[in-house]
Amino acid sequence: MLTHTSATTPAIAAGREPLVQVRRAVKTYGPTKALSGVTLDVHAGEVFGVVGHNGAGKSTLMRVLSGLDAIDSGSVQIGGVSTPSERGFPGVRMAYQEGSLALELTVYENIYLSSKSWIPDRRWHGAASRRAMARLDEIFPDHVVGPADYVDDLTLADRQMVEISRATIADDLRLLILDEPTESLSGSAVDHLYDYVRKLRASGHAIILVSHRLREVLSVCDRVAVMKDGAVVSTHAAGSVTEQDLFLAMGGEVAIQKTGNGARPTATDSSRPVCVKVPMTTVDGAATQIVAHKGEVIGLAGIAGQGQEQVLDRLWRRNGDVQASAALAYVPGDRQRSGILPLWDVARNLTIAALPSLSKNGIRQTEKENALVAEWVERLKIRGGASAAITGLSGGNQQKVIVARAFASDADTILLDDPFRGVDVHTKAELYQLIKSEAQKGRTIIWYSSENSEMQHCDRAFVLRAGRVAGELHGRDISDERIISLSFAEAREAHA
Amino acid sequence: MSTAILDHVGFNLPKGYARRALPGFLTLIAMVLILLVCGTIQPRIWSQNGLTLIMSPIVALAIASMAQMVMMSIGDIDLGIGFFVGMITTIVATLLRETPMLGVLALAGSVLAYALLGALVQLRSVPSLIATLGASFVWLGLGLFVLPVPGGAAPDWLFKYAFWKPPLSIPAPVVTMVVATALTWFVTRRTGLGVKFRSLGSNPVALMRSGGSLVVTRMLAYGTVGILGVLSGITLTAEIGGGDVNAVPGYTLTTVAAVILGGGMFTGGRAVAWGTLAGAVTLGLLTVLLTLLNLSSNLQPAVQGFIVIAVLAGRLVVERMTR
Repeated sequence: MLTHTSATTPAIAAGREPLVQVRRAVKTYGPTKALSGVTLDVHAGEVFGVVGHNGAGKSTLMRVLSGLDAIDSGSVQIGGVSTPSERGFPGVRMAYQEGSLALELTVYENIYLSSKSWIPDRRWHGAASRRAMARLDEIFPDHVVGPADYVDDLTLADRQMVEISRATIADDLRLLILDEPTESLSGSAVDHLYDYVRKLRASGHAIILVSHRLREVLSVCDRVAVMKDGAVVSTHAAGSVTEQDLFLAMGGEVAIQKTGNGARPTATDSSRPVCVKVPMTTVDGAATQIVAHKGEVIGLAGIAGQGQEQVLDRLWRRNGDVQASAALAYVPGDRQRSGILPLWDVARNLTIAALPSLSKNGIRQTEKENALVAEWVERLKIRGGASAAITGLSGGNQQKVIVARAFASDADTILLDDPFRGVDVHTKAELYQLIKSEAQKGRTIIWYSSENSEMQHCDRAFVLRAGRVAGELHGRDISDERIISLSFAEAREAHA
Repeated sequence: MSTAILDHVGFNLPKGYARRALPGFLTLIAMVLILLVCGTIQPRIWSQNGLTLIMSPIVALAIASMAQMVMMSIGDIDLGIGFFVGMITTIVATLLRETPMLGVLALAGSVLAYALLGALVQLRSVPSLIATLGASFVWLGLGLFVLPVPGGAAPDWLFKYAFWKPPLSIPAPVVTMVVATALTWFVTRRTGLGVKFRSLGSNPVALMRSGGSLVVTRMLAYGTVGILGVLSGITLTAEIGGGDVNAVPGYTLTTVAAVILGGGMFTGGRAVAWGTLAGAVTLGLLTVLLTLLNLSSNLQPAVQGFIVIAVLAGRLVVERMTR
């Protein structure tokens, strides 16, 4: 069933030079290896799908192909060019998931900004408006966007349409990269987009489609590459594989009978008091809730950006519908932006959340603080000690300080927002141990992680998809394979 | 005026247009109201001379506000514009009068200095607040160096401008302000350069992905601010007849208030030339009104500040309703 094709499929005209040739591309960001030797070919006149779970290296590969990032070793050649210019590889355009439109500009101004080379300098207002509208009409016939609309005032779906149109407005277009293009589009718009993609293919363009909607990928692509751990593990002819095959290749597990089992009562822990209750809906639309008892480690898993952070956010803000214990502490994932206080030393960074409980009548008690700092520096073996400058520490040690900050407070529920991204293995092991021992002491931990293997340290894990609960896993059931399977729940239902 | 389109409101107004034009439009209404109240108290302002008299102190403020507006459209704030305009008056009242060649070079150098300031902000990621605040002391020092005590005299051609009476009994200050505003509006809203300025303020990533250079764009924006600052200084020299580096340190914050009244944002991305003009004139006329009301001049800044806060609060309510 699986066709591991190292060469091209017969359907693609043999003998023609591939438009995109990637050979053993390696890219590292600090300690993490985002690409560990990717090799792939994409031909003109084909739609090439790329699938994979979190951290498989899809985004990095697309950044490399669009010329935003340079690789460390290996080679990338697109249309005979192997070193991108400042504007990327010639003829390569990418529709981003987000962030490439200026919200305070109008639609036609955004088009002008991005496609200057193909719009005359004189009287560009009309020209840019016409090109924007022509392309929007061509791809999405029933859109409601006007050329002078401000992007900020458009709906997410409309913005995505503008973004896709923006990417396609280039006279020298040869390769179009679509990164999760249908995430915020409605049904008919999705169909229109893929009709247009087929039209582009017919006119000899190459299209790379990155998506975790496997059904869409299989229906529109000619070939599909499965990525895992920074490499392409297999390439399939789309006509000869099923969604299950792709699961298997991604490392998922097919044999799961139950879907939407989020409402399954927990027998083991129900004796302990409930600390946290978040009402949710399952993917089938039934009401359920995420419940955490005292001393439990609860995981929030699934593809990144499927509503896990919103659950933490609802808890942290104590939205009306959630039930949360008295004291919460929050460990952010992005330590540079929302974690460390860069001008302070380790000790001050560590104690800031605990200060209220350490001070007496509003006056700080230095000895108590120092004792607490000494305890945590010792316990987590923070290099450099209490008086080191926080910015002088390695990323892993900075993260230890931020985690210690939350646990040093008197909060009884700790919210972890994917805190161990980019942290080395050794530090991770220490922090997992800490989480376990703190849970045993009676603390409740709600832990979102984009790394599926981390979820094994949870008592229970909820897999989220599109903001809904796709399933709940218990203890030993929590595995990479089952999380991946549940992450793609929608696709799986189609075959059930 | 761009806000006049609001008068025939249709359902085919571009999405988000009303939300952006409304603050400036409300400020325009406030401006007209204040003008009417002033005219009721003192009917003699309804003449070419009368309007020239109350408007001419506002010209330099309006142009300096345009400078601040350009600065805020790229997401920065200029805390040195007051002393910069002051320094320009000292150059105009001495160098430009005595040795025009040297004067022109000095003014060009000032604009260049602004562009370099922009490069510093971008390349060293210095916050614009710090960079322009630091620069303000440089402007002060240079101004004192050129002209230690207020003095000098405006060049003759500037004096001629000060006494210029346009036909159709249009007040000269109004002509100057409208021309300066129209130019700023054209550059920021109708040219590709303006699109780059605003995208730098709204989403630098978008500008970068489109292949634009952040450094060059920021330098050009700061250069534009410098040019408008020089124009403001020249008109101020015509108004006060000489040079004084300490003439208008209050411009720094008043211009920010004018931009906000006109619909600008601290977060950048919005260029509202006409709204800013309405804001600057409103703030200028407020002084006239308070004087006509015989309010103690010591109280005027407080009342001015109170009105600005009230307008901003009102605008917040209106914005929430139109969203």
